[in-house]
Amino acid sequence: MIAPRNTHATPAEIHDLDPQAFLEEVQSFEFWFQAVEGYLSGLTYGHKPETADPPLAELDRDRLITVLCNYCVGETAALEGASGLIAIAPNRLAKVFLSTQAVDEGRHLEVLLHRMRDLGVADPDLEVERRASRSLLLFKRRLLELVASKDWEAAIFAQNVILEALEFAVFHSHAQTADPVTREVLLGIVKDERRHIGFGENELGRRLASAPHMRARIGQVKKELDHLVLDTLEETMQHIGLPRDEHDRLGRSYLESVERLGFV
Amino acid sequence: MADPLENEAEEAVREDGARQRFILEDTGFDEVPKKYRRFYRKWAGPGDSLAPNEVICPVCKVVIRSTRELRPGDRVYCMPCMSRLVVVRTPAGTLEARVAY
Repeated sequence: MIAPRNTHATPAEIHDLDPQAFLEEVQSFEFWFQAVEGYLSGLTYGHKPETADPPLAELDRDRLITVLCNYCVGETAALEGASGLIAIAPNRLAKVFLSTQAVDEGRHLEVLLHRMRDLGVADPDLEVERRASRSLLLFKRRLLELVASKDWEAAIFAQNVILEALEFAVFHSHAQTADPVTREVLLGIVKDERRHIGFGENELGRRLASAPHMRARIGQVKKELDHLVLDTLEETMQHIGLPRDEHDRLGRSYLESVERLGFV
Repeated sequence: MADPLENEAEEAVREDGARQRFILEDTGFDEVPKKYRRFYRKWAGPGDSLAPNEVICPVCKVVIRSTRELRPGDRVYCMPCMSRLVVVRTPAGTLEARVAY
């Protein structure tokens, strides 16, 4: 007879968990649900309904719309990428995790489009088409090609390491100077991005540790995508109006995760 | 070549003396289910400092907390970003966490 497990008990020390039990827990839908409930309940389209939203100066509003359009391209890429990757994920835990990521990405796209409507954009989808960065569109196309070719490692690298690290760094930095509503929307997205970057780095790190020959192939993908990412980063930072030293800090922050995986 | 993580684990085994214990309280960190919240907190930036039972996750920059004093070789988990980490001592003598894939 199998003894029942009490899965609702509060652990005395979570760091004593068995590694497999840890993965089973954090990559579960149940964990995701309880985590997002903590910071999304009570919000409407990613922000508190009572948060003040004073009108922006026209130039600031226009720049913000351009930035939001590019964020939407990134989120659409991740939404299509994550949902496509479910089919080729190598195990159940990865499939379940990616299903939660796809939900997160869909939410991000929705709240960003909604923010554009708040700013007076009549047709946000059309605006995204008009203003999207060429570099980011090329990145998106290449990412989806990697997914379609069923190259799990390369696609996870492009999406959950490169794209998510870029978004994590940029959204966090932008939130520090954004208007109150945009700030709340971005900080909520950053909380989701923590899971996405962690999944990517750890999944790829485990794969590279067990099959080092993959390193050359992933290195080639990095080389191919690097200039697209750095062009996008530079363009976005200019639109946000970040000072030069923040450009450098963001560049370093983006590079940290790829360096930890051994790519320089 | 010797695995540096294994060497650090040995260092921890050799250390003597009981570890300091800590009672963790919820600091308002809301990115994990309630039952795990006390094990994490936000880094408050310049002016903040780490207690002997804390390290920063290098992946997502959240502060990871343990019920006991941390020592080199200890394994810790960052639930917000789902990383397994090992505590190491830096050349400067401070503790930091490195990702253990």
